[in-house]
Parts: sequence; structure tokens; C-alpha cells
Amino acid sequence: MVLKYLLVLLSDSSVSFCYEPTHAKEKHDMISLENLKNTVVFALKNNLKVNFLLPDFTLDASYYACMEEIGHVKIVPFHSHPITDDAIYVIDSNRFPKSEELVNYTQQNFIVKLHKKHLKKWAAFLKILLPCSARINLVLMDLEHYDESDYTIYEKQLEKISNDLIHSPSQNTVPELNFLTDRMDLDQMNNCQAGLQHLTVAPNGKMYLCPAFYREDPSDDLGEIRTDIDIKNARLLELKYAPICRVCDAFHCKRCVYLNKKLTNEINTPSSQQCISAHIERDASRKLLEKLQKIHTQFKWDKSIPQLDYRDPFEIVKGNPQKISEINLTFQK
Amino acid sequence: MKVPAWVVVKKIVWALAKEIAVPVAVTVVWVPVKVPVLPLAKEAVEDPVKTPVKLLVKDSVPAVVRELAKAPVKPDAQVEHGKLNNYSSFQMIETKDVLIEKTNTWEEGKAKNITFIVTEDCQLQCKYCYLVGKNDLHKMDFETAKKSIDYLLQDRKYFTESSVILDFIGGEPFIEIDLIDQICDYFKIRAYETDHPSFNSYRFSFSTNGLLYNDPKVQKFITKNLSHLSIQITIDGTKEKHNLQRVYPSGKGSYDQVVKNIPLWISQFPNASTKVTISRDDLPYIKDSVLHLWQLGIKEVNINVVFEDVWETGDDAFFEEQLVALADEIITHKYYEQYSCSFFSTHIGFPYKENMNWCGAGKMLAIDHEGNFFPCNRFVNYSLQNREQLVIGNHTDGINQNKLRPFLTLDMFTQSTPECVACEVATGCAWCQGANYDYADSTTIFQRATYLCLMHKARVRANNYFWNKLEKKLQKTLRTLP
Repeated sequence: MVLKYLLVLLSDSSVSFCYEPTHAKEKHDMISLENLKNTVVFALKNNLKVNFLLPDFTLDASYYACMEEIGHVKIVPFHSHPITDDAIYVIDSNRFPKSEELVNYTQQNFIVKLHKKHLKKWAAFLKILLPCSARINLVLMDLEHYDESDYTIYEKQLEKISNDLIHSPSQNTVPELNFLTDRMDLDQMNNCQAGLQHLTVAPNGKMYLCPAFYREDPSDDLGEIRTDIDIKNARLLELKYAPICRVCDAFHCKRCVYLNKKLTNEINTPSSQQCISAHIERDASRKLLEKLQKIHTQFKWDKSIPQLDYRDPFEIVKGNPQKISEINLTFQK
Repeated sequence: MKVPAWVVVKKIVWALAKEIAVPVAVTVVWVPVKVPVLPLAKEAVEDPVKTPVKLLVKDSVPAVVRELAKAPVKPDAQVEHGKLNNYSSFQMIETKDVLIEKTNTWEEGKAKNITFIVTEDCQLQCKYCYLVGKNDLHKMDFETAKKSIDYLLQDRKYFTESSVILDFIGGEPFIEIDLIDQICDYFKIRAYETDHPSFNSYRFSFSTNGLLYNDPKVQKFITKNLSHLSIQITIDGTKEKHNLQRVYPSGKGSYDQVVKNIPLWISQFPNASTKVTISRDDLPYIKDSVLHLWQLGIKEVNINVVFEDVWETGDDAFFEEQLVALADEIITHKYYEQYSCSFFSTHIGFPYKENMNWCGAGKMLAIDHEGNFFPCNRFVNYSLQNREQLVIGNHTDGINQNKLRPFLTLDMFTQSTPECVACEVATGCAWCQGANYDYADSTTIFQRATYLCLMHKARVRANNYFWNKLEKKLQKTLRTLP
């Protein structure tokens, strides 16, 4: 494990920015100032970047002062935080902002937690958000409940978004979209990397694989803050030890270990929903890239995304494991 | 009236030939036509070089079975090194080895294996038993079994195989013989009514302690379903070895009560095999126990050492000594011509060439008394010491496909240490997915327990000794070394 950054949950009611459900705020326990200071010092000593996850209320000034001791990013609920350059705004589709609420936002980073009931509105939502964004990360909530009809809706939404982008007058300034443009630039896996590159410090001062593991079960901790964290079977976090993922080229996929654990019992095994949604995105990226290449013949394009005849790599691996020699070749250092 | 064994053999072969063309039928071909004579060790057998098995086949079994015999037995993925160079007299050994070494020949897409845990109760309290939570509370009722069968027969997406093995396990399954009879009848009726392919290709399989084998109800069931049955009575070897482990709650050994049922069992299933388990205290009795079982007329002895963390320094050397002594006996007395013992196999002790999982968990299905589905019965609470049971569905909601994905993509590489992957004598080294899950450092099936390492290496050395010595005696190459 080469730890690169920490996620720090300042409060039990800190914003949830990924697949875990946004829990009812039963508790408002804050991280103690002492634990926060320890965390900052630990990060400073180990060259770690820090992402602070903030709640929707204003903190005591001493907390802000402590956070300012280190370079950081603030992940904040959209409706509760002023516009700053060091913030990533989390939007819940239950309270998607109206365009007038976004008027002062330019080149900002957004995370959108899109609930399944709003899937049909995604293209419309995105149209509102695009002009003020530098990057948008989409998180498909309720993913475990997706079925064929939802996949069809998602495909259509991505097709609509691609068409909108192509016909947009400002297509040169299209923001990065994790679900559509990331795959065009990647030639290797670029996943969440929880437990490999980052760990989470929770309000109780203990470390976790990610915020979702803390929220799911606070007793599932990795102990006190230190560098030599002992993660049992940590190798299973690595791509090399993920039989489905290591043959896959949906490089932008989150490979969420929390969802893996929750849906398949195994951190190294993705659910069918994770794989299929990632492949729908991959195919939308492929089609968009092909269209752009046809339109903009003046550029030299060195990327292409091959068409696949499957959308779940499980189908390839099932009963047909990758050869040992192939695995060793792919992962030789 | 005493029916000669070969008549029963023919009857079974015919029944199988009509209904199921599986390697099980092929092995039947190799059963000698003579009624077993004790002790067979002293029986003069013609030189195998001069009497190839093909001749035996021609003389003793109907044409249709000869055709079946030609059907290739699918070699195990890791068999490659152990080809027998067409030395047909040893086909018997290899054929059986393949069946033994593979966890389940039927799993190769041919048959769905469905295990009904009809009871978690047993008359015995065997000391080495992995069922640590046996009890007399959890018994399946007929409604649960019916719902499970109904679900499985209608889910053609999950149940794609055209054959099925309904496996009945306990505790001791024959305690619940009335229920089992009901389940089997219900399966037949529903498979017919739903026009399920498995109606034409089903078997009922039992692992039993044998205590109730001669019970009239059990015998009635056997007679009724004879052509569709596989029954394995567990008898562990000599009286001393058997009674060391297989005891009643009082501590009294069960050998006498089991052994009296063996002749009846063999008369009904002449090709019967038994499964012997070796724990630490059993090591001194291995050789004598295998020979004893053969003398009882059980020609196929499947045997393995326990997966648990019980082995201590020096056990491997002792184990090896026993196996070498057994090898000498087999070769001296030509037992290899009629008997098999799974400790000796042509395809163990080579480096891995394939990346297959050892175990069939997940391809099969176990059902508990509540109608919960499991990858196998080793994932049910009564089998686990350290972990919660691992449910993959139930008869109402069906199979949770996401929970099956780890099992269906689990390979050797991902669960093994780099040392195991690179091991020079890796093939044949066994593991149990349920035991791995129970012992793993985290809640996963992807961590292979390696308690057996030294015992496996000892077995490999004894196995090499056996084959090299046999090759020398017969002046034939029986294995292709890498």
C-alpha cells in the first residue's frame, strides 16, 4: 500500500459523496479537535493530501484553523457552503439545484448522487450543471436495484447527453465527466483505490477503508492512525487478485469495494450492476469518441475504444479463469 | 435368493446405460465379473499385460455398455502429466483416480448437484467430524423441500444442466427416510409435470454412517429407487481405527453395527466406494485400514487427511512411512489390478499448469431446513466454527446471482499464496472452500488454508515411490513426467 491521501470525516453527519446511502442524521458527533490535529500532523509527516468531508452546518473556528494547516480539498453539501476554489460540491438529486442557484458557479467540481427515480432526468439535470462545471462525477444511487429496464433508460440518457455535447456550441469547453469522457483518456485501470491509495479517518479517530465502511459498521475499523495499517487479506484490494476486474477494460469504473462487499460478500468481486453500468458507460464513451473523430478530422486521434460483445466480464471469466502465465505477464513489475 | 454380484452389476449398467451416459457408468465396466472372494489378495489374477481390460469388457458386458466404455473419460485439467500411455490394464486405476481426484465428475456441466440437509442430527459423535454444530432441532419439513424443488425446476436460467443429483446429507440422512422418500417422489412427479430435462437423468445420492442401512424402510426405499441410487457408507478401516473416531455419544465405537451391513450394501452396490478420513490419531492405522476395507469387498477407497489445523511436526514423516508401506503391499500383492486408493494417483505432484479451483462450491447448491440456499453444506452454521453462514438465496426469493459470482470466478491463483502458485509438487494438493472461509483472516473465500502443505508433500513422495516402483516392476512408463 502506498498511501497518498486521507479522507477525513469531520462529523457523523458529514456529507456522503459516494455509493453509501445518505443516512438519516441520528448523530452529530464531531471528530475531537485533538484527533483532527493528530490527523493533520500525520498527513504532514507522510506527505499525504487530505480531503475533508464537511457537514451542512458551520464548524467552530478552531476546526477551520486546524484544517488550514495543510493543503486540502473540502467535500461539502451543495446547499450549505459558500463558493470556494478548494471545494467539491455534492448534489443529491432529491434537491437538484435550479439554474438560478448555480449562477455564480464557474469551473467547479461537482459530485452528483443520482437516485434511480431520477435516472430519466439525468440528461436534463446535466444540461443545467454543465455550464458551471470543470468536472462532474456521477454516482448511481440504488445501483443494486438496477434491472434491464433501468439499463435501457441509462443507455438512452447517455446517448442523449452525447448528442447534446456534440451539438453544443461550446463543445471545446466540455467538462470532464467520469461516466462519459474519462474512459476516452485512460489506458489502464483508474478505480477508487480505497485501501490502496487512501484511507479514511472517522469522527471516532479510527481508520477505515472508506467512509462507507465506517457508516455501515463502525466496529469494522482498522485501528488507530498510523502508516503500518494491517488490512487483512489486503492483496484482495489489488487488481491482480480480482478475477473479473483484471480482464476488464472499463478503466473508469469505480470498482467500489464497499459495493462489492455489500452485494457479493467479497471486496474483490464486483456485482453485475457495477459491471453492466460501467460497460454501458464504456460503450457510450466509445460511440462518442467515434462521432468526435468523424467530426473533427483535423485532429490526430491516437485513442480508440474497441467494441465488445459482452457487457459483464463475469461472462468471460466464469468457468474459464485467466491463465497463470497471462496474469504474471500483465502484472510483472 | 442370493443374486450373483455380476447380475446386479449388469442390471445397474443397463439402467445407467438407458438413462445416464456419465462416467459413473464407465467405471462399472471395470468391475470384475467374479463374485468377490476374500481375501482377494491371495487370488491369482492373470498378468495384466496379457489380459487387457478390453477383453474383460468384451466378455462380460452388453454391447451398449461397450459403447459407453469407449466414451472418453474427461481428464482432469491437471491430468496432463499423468497420462498412462495406453497401458490399458491400468485404465482402471486411472479412471478411478480421475473420479476420485475430481470433486465431482458430474459438475462438468452435466449435472446439477442439489444437497438437501434433511437433518442436522446424527446417532454418532465422530471426533473428527467437521459438523461442529450438530443438533436435533433443525429438521427439514416436506413443505420446505417442495418449495425448493419447485423453485429449482422453474429457474431454468440457473438450472441449465440436463441431469441432476439430489444429494441427501445430515447429520445422518437415513434418520429422515420417510421425508427423503417423499422428496424423491415429489421430484420425479414435478420433473415430469414440468417437462424438465432432468426427469430423464436423475440420481439420488447418500453419504451415510450405515447404521440404519438394513432398516426395512431404508431397504424399501433402496429397492424402489435402485437404478437411480448412489449410496456411500462410511467405514473407516479396521475396527481399531473406526472406533477411534466414529463413536456414539457414550464413547462406544460403532464398527460392529456398521460392518454387519456391509455385505448387504455390497450386494446391492458391488461397485461401492467408501470415504475414509484421517485425522492425527489415525496415522498409524492407514495401511491396515485400506487393506481391511478391500478385504471387506470395498474396491474403491477414497481417503483424505482432514483440512483442519491439527498437524504437528513429524506427522508428515509418519504419514509417508504408512503410505510407503501401503505401496509395497499393493505392488507385492498386485492389488492394483482390482482396487484403488485415492492416495495414489498418476496426476499428483506436478507444478500447476492450469488455474482451476479445486472445489465445486457454488456450482452445487445446499438447502437447509429453512429453505435457505448455500454454496455447499460447509457454509451452513452447523459446519462453521468462526464465521456466520453464507447464504446465497432461498426457495422464495431464489438465487442471488451476485452472491454466486465469487464462487463462479474463484480460481487457484487468486486464493493461493505465491508459494503455492509456484509449488513444484502442487497438483493434487486439496482444499475445502468452506474450511478456507472458516479459517480465513477476513470474511472471504479467497484465502486458501495451507495446513496440509507438509502432509501433501509427504503424500507426493510416497506417490512417486509407488509409481516408480510399479513402472519398474511392469517395465512400463505409466506417467509422463514434466
